[in-house]
Amino acid sequence: MEGKIIVVTSGKGGVGKTTATSSIGAALALEGNRVAIVDMDIGLRNLDVVMGLENRIVFNIVDVVQGRCKVEQAAIRDRRIENLFLIPASQSDNKDVLTTAGVERVAKQLRSKFDFIIMDSPAGIERGFENSVVSADEALVICTPDVSAVRDADRVIGLLYARSLNPKLIVNRIEPARVVRGEMLSHEDVLEVLSIDLVGLVPMDEKVLISSNTGTPLVLQNDSKAGMAFRQIARRLNGEEDLPIEMPVYKTSMWHKLSKTFGLKQ
Amino acid sequence: MIHFENAAPVKIKGVGGGLWISLDPSRPEDVLITEVDKIFTKLKHLAVNANVVIDMGDARGHDDLFALVKSRLIEKFEVGRVTSPPKKQSAPTQRIRQRDLSRGWDQHRSDVLMLRGRVRSGQKIDTKKHVVIFGDVNPGAEILAGGDIIVLGRLAGKVHAGSPADETAIVFALAFDPTSIKIGTITAAGSEERSHATPEFACVKKGSILVQDYMTTNPFRKMPWPEPV
Repeated sequence: MEGKIIVVTSGKGGVGKTTATSSIGAALALEGNRVAIVDMDIGLRNLDVVMGLENRIVFNIVDVVQGRCKVEQAAIRDRRIENLFLIPASQSDNKDVLTTAGVERVAKQLRSKFDFIIMDSPAGIERGFENSVVSADEALVICTPDVSAVRDADRVIGLLYARSLNPKLIVNRIEPARVVRGEMLSHEDVLEVLSIDLVGLVPMDEKVLISSNTGTPLVLQNDSKAGMAFRQIARRLNGEEDLPIEMPVYKTSMWHKLSKTFGLKQ
Repeated sequence: MIHFENAAPVKIKGVGGGLWISLDPSRPEDVLITEVDKIFTKLKHLAVNANVVIDMGDARGHDDLFALVKSRLIEKFEVGRVTSPPKKQSAPTQRIRQRDLSRGWDQHRSDVLMLRGRVRSGQKIDTKKHVVIFGDVNPGAEILAGGDIIVLGRLAGKVHAGSPADETAIVFALAFDPTSIKIGTITAAGSEERSHATPEFACVKKGSILVQDYMTTNPFRKMPWPEPV
């Protein structure tokens, strides 16, 4: 069976595309799939650091597209998770070195070798975005509950529809406490504007930063809320579409309730 | 009435269910009778049992002429029925009746662009017509219309109605929350607060843009009849 190419995109930078890509890829591999994660952010390579594989890079995606090496040579095997591979980006080139035709050719090879190919798209909607979505079968749009991120995601959704892709939404970095206080949009607000299928809600989690900086997979940490949310998303992408989406809830602490009762806090 | 020197004293015309005879009553009686005879002789059996209308224009007081022609047509040419033209209504009443009943929109070519679906950030709708959108207009989307803009959904983008300079245009939305709004040449910024989900419309009053609740101040409530736009 042919593999499926899923592009992870957002329009806006810094909303968690790279984290989502690596986490979903790792979680899909844990489900028993053969997974390749491709970093399409040519010139601003990050995914290798987040996955802790930067010192093993020999070839990159530009080498593959330009025919300097085979896909197998560029794919770095992850030592902790079986069947997980990374094809890194080039740090020295810029986005114009890739052509859509070249990417499509490599995509065909990747489909025959892997069950899932997760592509990490760069921020923006220019050449790099074009190259990442040209051969995609599915698209995931990452959005944080910020007005600016929602607007950019909305733009990207329009562009994905124009390419006959039916994007699915992941709302990242939800802080239930701030939603309750009205300081942040809720995922319902985001969904109201974007109105596409939701595939997962990911709560704010400090462990994401630690895991990114140390290069350890987030989904292997059982105490990470975000990691667990990404594993759920991977299960939904792997065919368990009926898996209910967990709403991040704000649990008020004992002390908070007590002090509220005695009028010490609002 | 306009008279030409050589205008025929009697004219015949086929109408819906019969014949329409125009008589010029200023001509002598015998001339008219001869002319009528001439025409109806030519018609032969076509005249038998026909409905005939005798039209003497706006001239009055020719009842005897009417009776004479009527009896002659019935006796000599065996026509079915002879009547005078239907009475005309007074001009203003007639216009109102016509507008009320004539279904003028049957012949009307629509000047409306009707769209279904969500208008997303970065998308721009640009038209010289009126625009009706079944769906929401997201923040970052833009709509520019030569006429009115009607959004059956939430309007949160940027709109310009009556482009370039028509200040009679209106903007209506079921949930009115635009980032900025322009009607003709007048611009206004959107409200800081998110609007309540009430239907509102904007129009130009005294050189500035006024936003009102549509349910309480419907601007079309007092129009006497529906008009195609």
